[in-house]
Amino acid sequence: MQRAKVSGSVEVKQVIGALCRLLAAAGVDPVPVPENFRRAKFGGGAEEDQFWQLLGSILQKTAVVSSEVDLQLRGASENRKFVAAGLWQTGYHADWMYERQGGHAEGGRSFSSRDLLLALGWLLAAGTLEKLLTQRVQQLDKTLLTPVPVNLHLSSELQFDSASLRRLQWLIGRLRHQGRILLSMLQEQTRLLHAVFSASLSSAASSSCGQSSVVLKEDLVCVQQLCDLLEAYLSWRQVEDVFWTWMDSVVDCHLTGPVIKRPTHAQSGSPGVCHHGTWGLDKPDDMLLGLPVDTHTSTPTQEGPRRGRGDVKDRGGGEKGRAGPPFVSSLPSVPFLSQVFRARLQAERPVRQPRAEDLHSSTEAPELKASQAVQLLLHAEALLLERRDRQRLANRTQLQEMIGSLDELVLIPP
Amino acid sequence: MSVVTVQLGQCGNQVAHELLDVVWSDAQKKPSRAASCERFFHHNTHGELVARAVLIDMEPKVINQSLSRAAKCGRWRYGEDSHFSQKQGSGNNWANGYCVHGPRHRDVVEELVRREVERCDRLAGLLAMMSVAGGTGSGVGAYVTQCLRDIYPTSFILNHLTWPYRTGEVIVQNYNSVLTLAHLYQLSDAILVHENDTAHRICSQLLNIKHISFSDVNKVIAHQLGSVLQPALTADSHGVYSRNPLGIDWQVRPPAGSGRSTSLTGSSFNTSLANLLILRGKDVYSAETGGFEDPALYTSWLSSKEAFSLWKSPVSFNKYEKSATLVSNSQALLSPLDDMVGKAWNMFASRAYIHQYMKYGISEEDFLDSFTSLEQVISSYRQLC
Repeated sequence: MQRAKVSGSVEVKQVIGALCRLLAAAGVDPVPVPENFRRAKFGGGAEEDQFWQLLGSILQKTAVVSSEVDLQLRGASENRKFVAAGLWQTGYHADWMYERQGGHAEGGRSFSSRDLLLALGWLLAAGTLEKLLTQRVQQLDKTLLTPVPVNLHLSSELQFDSASLRRLQWLIGRLRHQGRILLSMLQEQTRLLHAVFSASLSSAASSSCGQSSVVLKEDLVCVQQLCDLLEAYLSWRQVEDVFWTWMDSVVDCHLTGPVIKRPTHAQSGSPGVCHHGTWGLDKPDDMLLGLPVDTHTSTPTQEGPRRGRGDVKDRGGGEKGRAGPPFVSSLPSVPFLSQVFRARLQAERPVRQPRAEDLHSSTEAPELKASQAVQLLLHAEALLLERRDRQRLANRTQLQEMIGSLDELVLIPP
Repeated sequence: MSVVTVQLGQCGNQVAHELLDVVWSDAQKKPSRAASCERFFHHNTHGELVARAVLIDMEPKVINQSLSRAAKCGRWRYGEDSHFSQKQGSGNNWANGYCVHGPRHRDVVEELVRREVERCDRLAGLLAMMSVAGGTGSGVGAYVTQCLRDIYPTSFILNHLTWPYRTGEVIVQNYNSVLTLAHLYQLSDAILVHENDTAHRICSQLLNIKHISFSDVNKVIAHQLGSVLQPALTADSHGVYSRNPLGIDWQVRPPAGSGRSTSLTGSSFNTSLANLLILRGKDVYSAETGGFEDPALYTSWLSSKEAFSLWKSPVSFNKYEKSATLVSNSQALLSPLDDMVGKAWNMFASRAYIHQYMKYGISEEDFLDSFTSLEQVISSYRQLC
C-alpha cells in the first residue's frame, strides 16, 4: 500500500511537472515547481504568492481581463483584485472572490492556496491551456497567415430564396477553392524553405551569407520553440487524466476540511457572510437560507466554490456529516440541535490555530461528544431533507398553478 | 508546380499533342520559360525535354502517330513508357469504355499517372483531355477521372472537353455526350469546353483556311487552351509569374465556353456567373477592360468584383502581338447543351440503340439519371438573371 502510494505520488509529481513545462513553454511566467502544487493541496501559506502570480499571468496572457500594468509591476493586492476579476469573467464564482478587503476573509472564513489551486483547475478545464497555446503558436510561427476577414454580405434575417441559396453554394465552392490554393501555397512554401535550407547547408563553410544565416538561426530558434511547445502539449495530453484525478483529491480535501484557518482579526461572525455566499444560488437554496437565521453563528468555514455547496447538499443523503458544522449551524434547523451544537463549537473555538495536533485532539479525547455530534448531525440532516422535500413539493404545486393559469402553456416537468 | 496531362482517346491525344507543341514553342526565348516548361515538361537523364503526359487509347494508331511525331520533331518528346493502348477500340460506345475498358485497365492507367505525378516536384493538378462523342475518350475518360478523383482528392482536376459537330457523323454522339457530362459534373473541378463547330468557324471565317482539317481545328483549340494555361500575372501574383496555373476562380462546376473577343457588342450578352479575361502582348496595361465589370453582365447575387478576374502578361503569346482570351462561365453554352440533350432524349424516347449500351452494363436508370442531372444544370443556367 505504502509503495503504491509512493509510486502514485511520484506519478502525480511527474504529471504536474508536465503541466509546468507546458505552461512555461506557453510563455506563462512564473510557474511554481511541482512540489509547491502538492503543498498547495494541503493549504500551505508560503506558496500562495506564487499561485496568485501564476493565475495573474495566465489571465493576463489570455486577455480575459485587460490590464495596463504588467504582472511584475502590479502590487500584490492589485494582482489579487485582477485575478478575482479575471476568474469571475471566466465564470468562476468562489466566495473568497467577493470579499471587500483584498484576499483576506471576514468573519473567520479561511482561505488558502488550495483555493487558488482549485481556481487553476477551473481555468484549465475551461480551455485556457488551448488558448495560451494558440497564442504562442501564432507568435512563434511566422508562416501562419492571419485570417482575412471575408465580407459575406449575409443579411441578418436569413432569406431562403433561390438567389441566397445560389450565393451560398457559390461561397462554399469559393471556400473550397481557397482552401486548395492555401494548401498548394503551403506546399510551395515548404519546397522553397527546403531549397533555402539545402542551399545554406551547402554554403555553410563560406561566411558570405552571414546575414541570411542569422535570420535562419532566428527562424530555427522559433521552430525549435514551437516543437518544444507541441511536444510538451502532447506529453501533457497523455497524462492529463492523472492530473484530474489528483485535482479530484484536492477538491475532496477542500470539502472535508480540516482547513487550516487563518487567524482572523475579529470573531464577528455576521450573518452577512452567509448572504454573500448566496449570490447566484438557486431558488430553493435561497429560500432555505433566507429563513430566519440565528444571530450569533460562529461560522468558521464557508464552502468555497458554489459547486462545492451544491455537491454537499446533494450528497447530504448519501454521505455523513460532510456538510460540516458551520453549514448546519447557520441554518435554522431544529432549535435544540443548534444549541447543543453551538456549545460544541464554542468549545472548539480556541483551537483555531494551524496546528494539526489540536484538531486531532478535538475529535480524539472526548469520544462521546464526537459520536453524539454525529448522531445529532444525522438527525438534523434528516430534518433538513424532509424540509427540503416539502419545500420542493410546495414549489412544484405553486408552479403548476401558475402555469395552469396561463393560456397556451404546458408545463413539461423534467 | 506541374500539370500532368492525361490524354484520352483519339481526339484527346491529338489535341493534347497540339497543346504541348504550342506551349513549347511559345515558351522559347521567354522570361517565363522556366515556369511554363516546368509546368508541362521535365528533363530526363539525357537532358531531353519530356512531356508530363499519359497517353491512353483503346486502339494503337493515334498514340503511335503521336509518339513518333513528337520524337521526330526533336524539340520535346513523350516518355517512352507513358502510354497505354489496346487493339480493339471502344466502338463509339460509352458503356464499352466506362464499364468494360475502364475497370479492366484501371491499375495500369493509375500506375502510369502515379509515375508522372511522383516525378513532379509539386503537383498543381491534372488536365484530362478528351472528346465527348466517341467511346474511349468519353467512357474511359469518365472512368479515369473518377479514379483520379479518388486517388488525388485534394488536387485540381480540369477536364477539357471537345464537343462534336452538331451534325456529326457518330450517330450516338449525343448519348455519349450526355452520359459523359452527367458523370463529370460530379467529379471535375472545372470543365472547359471547346466546340468543333466554333473552332471550325474560326478556321473558315477568321483564318480563311479553305480546306479545314482536324489538324487545323485542333491547332485553334490548342492555341486557345494554351493562352489560358501559360503563365500570367494574376491579381495577386505581384509581378512574378505564378507557378500555379490553375488558380482559375470557377466556383460552381459548370461547363465553360471560350471564345475570343476584344470588343463588346450591345446587350446581347448572356448572363455570366464568372468571367476570366486573359490579355497577352503589347499594351496590356493600358487596355480598357471596364466593360467587363458591368454588373449587368453578371448574375444578381454576385458582384462584378467577385465574378470577374483579369490576368495580364506583357509577353506575347504564340506569335500574336496582342491576344485576349475570355473564359466564360455563362449561359453561352446553354443552347448547344440544350440541343444536345434534346436530341439525345428524342433518341432515348424511342429507345434507339439502347441495347448496345445495355449489353455492356448500362441500364435505363443510368440514362435517366444522366438526363435528370443535365436538365437540372440547364434549368439552373436558364434561371440565371
